[in-house]
Amino acid sequence: MLKLEDVTKRFGGLIAVNRVSLEIKRGEFVGIVGPNGSGKTTLFNVISGVYYPDKGKVLFEDRDISYFPPYKRAPLGIGRTFQIPRPFGSATVRENVAVGAMFGTMRDKVGVDESMVIADEVIERVGLQEHRNKQAGTLTPVEKKLTEIARALAMKPKLLLMDEAMAGMHPNDIDQMVSLVKTIAKQENIAVVAMVEHIMRAVVGMAEKVIVLHQGAKIVDAPTQEALHDPKVIEVYLGHPPER
Amino acid sequence: MFGIQLAGNLLQGLVLGAVYGMATMGLSLIFGVLKVVNVGHGAFMMVGAFVALWVFNFLGVAPLWAIPAAFVLGMVLGFIFFHTSMKRLIKAPELASLLATFAIGILLEETIKLIYGADFHGYNWIVGKVSMGITVMPMSKIYAFLGSILIALILYFWFTKTRGGTALTCVVEDSEGARVCGINVGRAYALSFSLGIGLTVASGVLLTMFIPVGINPYMGGVYTLKGFVIAVLGGLGSPYGAFFAGLIFGLLENGSYSLFALIPGLEPFAMTRFFSFLILLLILLIKPTGLLGTK
Amino acid sequence: MKDSKIAKYYPLIPVCATYLALFIIGESVPGMWQLVAMLAFYCAIGQAFNIFLGMTGYVDFGYVAFMGVGAYGMALSVERLHMVEGIGMGVVFLGLLLAVVLAMLLSLAVGAVALRLRGAYFAIATIGVNEGFRYLIEGTKIWGGSEGIVFYGQLAKALGRETASQVSTYWADVFVFVIAFMAACITIVYMRSKIGYALTALREDEDAAKVMGINVTKYKIIAFITSASVAGLIGAAGWALKLTNVFPPQVFEIHYTVECIIIVLLGGAGTLLGPPIGALVYGLAKYWLSVIIPGFQLFVFAPIILVVIVVFPEGIMGLLKRRWRGTGLGRFIE
Repeated sequence: MLKLEDVTKRFGGLIAVNRVSLEIKRGEFVGIVGPNGSGKTTLFNVISGVYYPDKGKVLFEDRDISYFPPYKRAPLGIGRTFQIPRPFGSATVRENVAVGAMFGTMRDKVGVDESMVIADEVIERVGLQEHRNKQAGTLTPVEKKLTEIARALAMKPKLLLMDEAMAGMHPNDIDQMVSLVKTIAKQENIAVVAMVEHIMRAVVGMAEKVIVLHQGAKIVDAPTQEALHDPKVIEVYLGHPPER
Repeated sequence: MFGIQLAGNLLQGLVLGAVYGMATMGLSLIFGVLKVVNVGHGAFMMVGAFVALWVFNFLGVAPLWAIPAAFVLGMVLGFIFFHTSMKRLIKAPELASLLATFAIGILLEETIKLIYGADFHGYNWIVGKVSMGITVMPMSKIYAFLGSILIALILYFWFTKTRGGTALTCVVEDSEGARVCGINVGRAYALSFSLGIGLTVASGVLLTMFIPVGINPYMGGVYTLKGFVIAVLGGLGSPYGAFFAGLIFGLLENGSYSLFALIPGLEPFAMTRFFSFLILLLILLIKPTGLLGTK
Repeated sequence: MKDSKIAKYYPLIPVCATYLALFIIGESVPGMWQLVAMLAFYCAIGQAFNIFLGMTGYVDFGYVAFMGVGAYGMALSVERLHMVEGIGMGVVFLGLLLAVVLAMLLSLAVGAVALRLRGAYFAIATIGVNEGFRYLIEGTKIWGGSEGIVFYGQLAKALGRETASQVSTYWADVFVFVIAFMAACITIVYMRSKIGYALTALREDEDAAKVMGINVTKYKIIAFITSASVAGLIGAAGWALKLTNVFPPQVFEIHYTVECIIIVLLGGAGTLLGPPIGALVYGLAKYWLSVIIPGFQLFVFAPIILVVIVVFPEGIMGLLKRRWRGTGLGRFIE
């Protein structure tokens, strides 16, 4: 469904993403992993349209979207959440989620009222009903994150990009969120790509395969368990090959 | 004949440009550090003009002495306004600080009107003229020119050679980074604002040395607008850029006047103003960071 | 908990009521018409300006240019078309139409340049257009140059003395009432449609809005042109038609834009009721101050503005909305 062919992105003299090719199939759960500076944020931004590739192509459902601005990618089915949740603060949770529906894949089929109905459904599925009329700016960070996820889900996406630092979150909350996303994604056949700094519980719990980046290049693209034991990965994180 | 007139005009423009440039340095500084556009810019210059008026008429002393007086007054005003209002608006949306500075401008205008009335004032500082071949330049204008350059140079040295100045440059670059380096960003903000206002008020004095008439509480508006054009031209946030942009603006203003005066059916004064805004819009379209901006 | 289709528009009721009350007071209490007309004018420009400022959060410091260009539309129509056989009131309606067309054209031109800029740059660009346009008129001496257009005579020729006088002293103001109401309707329709949600999103967080699929430029332009067109109508009716003249320094005067900003902010930006409330408070305060301390109104206003900005930036309606959200009364508030 999503294919990156030889994508390269540079900023001045710095090559942030170096000839990365990958493929994500419908309904797949993938983790993109790499330490700081490995280029994963840039890669994410190229997929969501914040940046355009200097070389190579981004294909979605066989369509070349390399130069589509972000607002054109959403109706195709690419949804995104942010590292630090950015719901629309002065709007209610319900309104936030409805915006997702209004401009997502269903944009030509739903009006404001139908979007509200969709919003109510999604809010119930993520468990935010009690907060639905609260202003998003007044929520706790976890609730904000859920609102963002709900908003992205209301888009009825085919691909969900999750910018997941999950840093500073309680392990219980992480587990809860991961299983929630996994359940819904499985039901809706949504592919989920989570971007994380290193392979840890969140990714292991969710991802079927893992793509590891290092200095802009892809060094591993394998099922999770394999990747965990791959000496190249360990070297990247430890700085030297694993001891015997 | 026209050539000489044009050249003379351009020279006058260059000299005036130095004053414009110096006036805009304060505006650029405040934007660079605080990301605030001082919409009351002209009003502060007006205050400086009145300081010059007062110094000359009531103290009977050359307006040159008004420059440091105006500067100090400006710093005090800047300090007061910063701590009462601007400080709280740093995190607020831009609209808030734009309006706040506008309100401050109005307050200044009305206060001066209360003291001096709404009439036009002027003074006459006759220190001779100098013939420069293509034009005749009153000494007062030359003093204004030199004064502007001197202040710009002092500022340059202060920014690059002193601790306080370099600290400010750091804050312009990256306020978070500066904070991490141990720079007291809050104080940097207060200092920049005060300094910027001080410069602006002082420039009002220099302006009157160039144009010693027409001093009234509402004279500032025109200069606020010119200030914006120059600041954008030089790169909002770059005081040096502002100075050079001021020179360019002075040249363009006078040069275009001569050219427009040649075309029948046009009103040259208004056309010059139109031209300056056209430049503003072109720059914003093509290179919003200004001709001399770096980002 | 199903909201009926009509209930969405309940907030229009207090607005209607306010305008109606104002109108009735003006009609019935002798000598009040001028004051009421002024208040209606402020309401109208407040509502119109709110469509852009309130809903997008961008400040157009050159807003008055749209009113000015609208005024010119009316003036030009009367000046150039008054001798057409039997045109009568047609000059006025054509004037209104021309006003809208000119305002739309100008807003497209401005939008093309300014809307890709953000924050302070946008504000400066809009001032640039305002002043630039004014000096272009004065400099090239088109449309009467710096002397403007005086068209009472031509209006009288087209309508007859009696009618012309009535139109400029009464009907012009009635038009302003109608325009104010129209602006309110447009505002609520936008607010309740996808346009409103898109605008709220882009006001809150433009980048997140883009990722959500919102074409922010398109919606900014929609709000901008709408707001500008209404401004044009107001300039045509409330300035040109009422005063039967147009002068560049007057119609491009920046302080009208500032009054718009104050009215919208005071009342609550982005709300429906905010502008009328802000207009009433501001208008009455200004009038009252000009009576008790003539010449010093600005002196008092300036610090008040400062206080409002620093202390309660969401305005009166912003506060009320928060208090009454979710309650019965809340359904009438927007």
